[in-house]
Amino acid sequence: MSFMGGAECSTAGNPLSQFTKHVGDDKSLQHDRLVNRGPNAAVGGFRSTNRGPGQDEMVNGFLNQTPEMAHMPLEQGHMLHLDPNQGVHMRAQNASPVWANDFHNAQAAMEAAFNAPPGTQFSADEFSKFQQMHPAAAPATASQMSAQRPMMGGGMMGMGNMNYNMMQRPMYQPMVGMHGPQMHNIPQQQLQPEGKGKGKVVELDQNKWEEHFAQLEINGDEARAMEPELNKMDEALLHSETGAGDLESIWRGIQAERDAMKELDEIDVQDDFAKFDSENLEKEDWTLNGRLGADPIVQEYLFEEDNFFRETPNPFEEGIRIMNEGGNLSLAALAFEAAVQKNPDHTEAWVYLGQAQAQNEKEEAAIRALERAMKLDPNNLSAMMGLAVSYTNEGYDSTAYRTLERWLSTKYPSVISPQNLSSAADMGFTDRAQLHERVTNLFLEAARLAPDGDHMDPDVQVGLGVLFYGAEDYDKAVDCFQSALHSTELGTSNQREQIHLLWNRLGATLANSGRSEEAIAAYEKALAIHPNFVRARYNLGVSCINIGCHDEAAGHLLAALDMHKSVEKSGREKARELLGGNAGDSDSRIDNMMTQNRSTTLYDTLRRVFTQMGRRDLAEKVTTGVDPEIFRGEFDF
Amino acid sequence: MSLKNDKFPSSAAFDAINSALTGSEADRKDAIKQGNAVFAFVLKNAAGETDQWHIDLKNKGEVGKGLGDKPTVTLSLSDADFAGLVAGTANAQRLFMSGKLKVKGDVMKATKLDPILKKAQTKAKL
Repeated sequence: MSFMGGAECSTAGNPLSQFTKHVGDDKSLQHDRLVNRGPNAAVGGFRSTNRGPGQDEMVNGFLNQTPEMAHMPLEQGHMLHLDPNQGVHMRAQNASPVWANDFHNAQAAMEAAFNAPPGTQFSADEFSKFQQMHPAAAPATASQMSAQRPMMGGGMMGMGNMNYNMMQRPMYQPMVGMHGPQMHNIPQQQLQPEGKGKGKVVELDQNKWEEHFAQLEINGDEARAMEPELNKMDEALLHSETGAGDLESIWRGIQAERDAMKELDEIDVQDDFAKFDSENLEKEDWTLNGRLGADPIVQEYLFEEDNFFRETPNPFEEGIRIMNEGGNLSLAALAFEAAVQKNPDHTEAWVYLGQAQAQNEKEEAAIRALERAMKLDPNNLSAMMGLAVSYTNEGYDSTAYRTLERWLSTKYPSVISPQNLSSAADMGFTDRAQLHERVTNLFLEAARLAPDGDHMDPDVQVGLGVLFYGAEDYDKAVDCFQSALHSTELGTSNQREQIHLLWNRLGATLANSGRSEEAIAAYEKALAIHPNFVRARYNLGVSCINIGCHDEAAGHLLAALDMHKSVEKSGREKARELLGGNAGDSDSRIDNMMTQNRSTTLYDTLRRVFTQMGRRDLAEKVTTGVDPEIFRGEFDF
Repeated sequence: MSLKNDKFPSSAAFDAINSALTGSEADRKDAIKQGNAVFAFVLKNAAGETDQWHIDLKNKGEVGKGLGDKPTVTLSLSDADFAGLVAGTANAQRLFMSGKLKVKGDVMKATKLDPILKKAQTKAKL
């Protein structure tokens, strides 16, 4: 695979070429994590600076981004500081499988170049670079940072490797979820001097450092003596808005985590989980009753009471037709509800119900339906992907990541076997970050299985997009969704009916990263394909709020609510058709049909808009279930 | 009685969360079910003063002043960062990883705050 360089890779033709933008990022720390999994990973590779002639455009583009890029090392500096204490927890900021391959090649070369002295863990060379990254240096100008970046890249990478090296063995054997207890294995001594040593870094000179470090390793007391100094640093950092890094408190936090885990009897916990897992497998019920605290409690789906589709012979077919025709989503949902009430084991119908409700901006209902589908068929890929997206929207990040992991193990068992899935234990922030990184790496592996960028599995792209979105790595997420759109448009995937979803996902990612105008353009594309796409209309409303067009926002939200409340003309006619003789009362009957699963998001957001507009009178009128019609005078929808 | 402390502008959020909880019985029950913990907050403003609030999602399903009765987890952060957290511009994960958010007590429960905060935010949906 040669995605990078060479004339065959044009930016337009190969969506992955966009990833190479990120090769230029100084993410060397993460590079190590992603590539060097072996226990003797002494060094990482420097990212290859070989770029083909066709890449100049992107290089320039990248270079032009320098001012913001410069901040990255700063952040990475922080991340680095956390390493000694938290081991592998970095979010993978790099999507590109390309550079990952580069690293494999470069690693051998680098290993020769870097010779870690056996006694000390770091070479003086690396530590001097580490010095540069110290917060004391960091507040210095961004330009300074950018100039030093190439060097820092090396230093950080080395550091990352070292840390990685240390943490490697204890951390990566068991399931990711069991990291807590495993952390006990990490020799205290190794970590402490590193952590405390940082305080000394400021004053240390490159050469004397080695002496000091050796001293620190032997003499723990000296390290402890630095506590007051670090505490002062701690205080100072808390006050500063730009807080460069707070190693001591993080260390304490980790120790607290460790202590908390220590309280659980290590062995018992492992036994419990083993028991739990086997129970789960028997029940084929991996979240509903098997939640271990981290996953949300998902309740039973609530059906609408009055559902005329129950009287039709094949509501499932009706529902499919409505979806394909871009009809009213509430109507489609009703059809699928009738289908599953007729046949509760109809997995496909549950999946469609979930998907319809998600697009209808009824996330809770969507989750319940999709979880039900999972209960019936634990390997249902569409349900899993849908759930991952919904959980991400609702803030259940860990659950979303686990779901994606499971999706991958089902579709790509060669990348990860279903036996090796992460446990569903309660997760702290550190664990979640580790889980995220693990799953991202797995997805990247899956991405690399594609013959070329044009034939990449769009679902893998979407999965990656969701992962980056979850980590707020919006630029990469945008790339992923754009690639997915590209492969779909090329016709190389069978996802043609999903294009509007992809446009919406792209839009949401743009919106949440502050690119409101571009987001609006994406939503408009989605709505052009599917005018009844309630979620896209809701998102459009949100973006209007963000750019300050409150009136327009209210209009969009009310239009979305209108789609819920009343059935479109064609829908009414269809309902009349289906109801046959009782044409007279069909309208009101239909209106009464949508009472159960209300979209609280729509109502809450509408209320917020009115408040922001200063119209408390309108805000007060917005109760859950209120008819948008009452606002028709004030707003255009 | 407002929970807001004028010296901590972001604390207005506590009032908003409280009204959301006490406004809907269904939402409150749901929040207690999902949260199942008492989240205590210690905010520090620019002047260096601190104040405390707690979101009780274990017993009463409401917000109050002080650390509450046996908080499950205590989160310490600056007033500005809390404002970002509530608005959705800051992210608890990031704040924690960069050391701006300190967590005491059952750290595993801290992540349960995310879904609760998400409900207060107006963000685009994937």
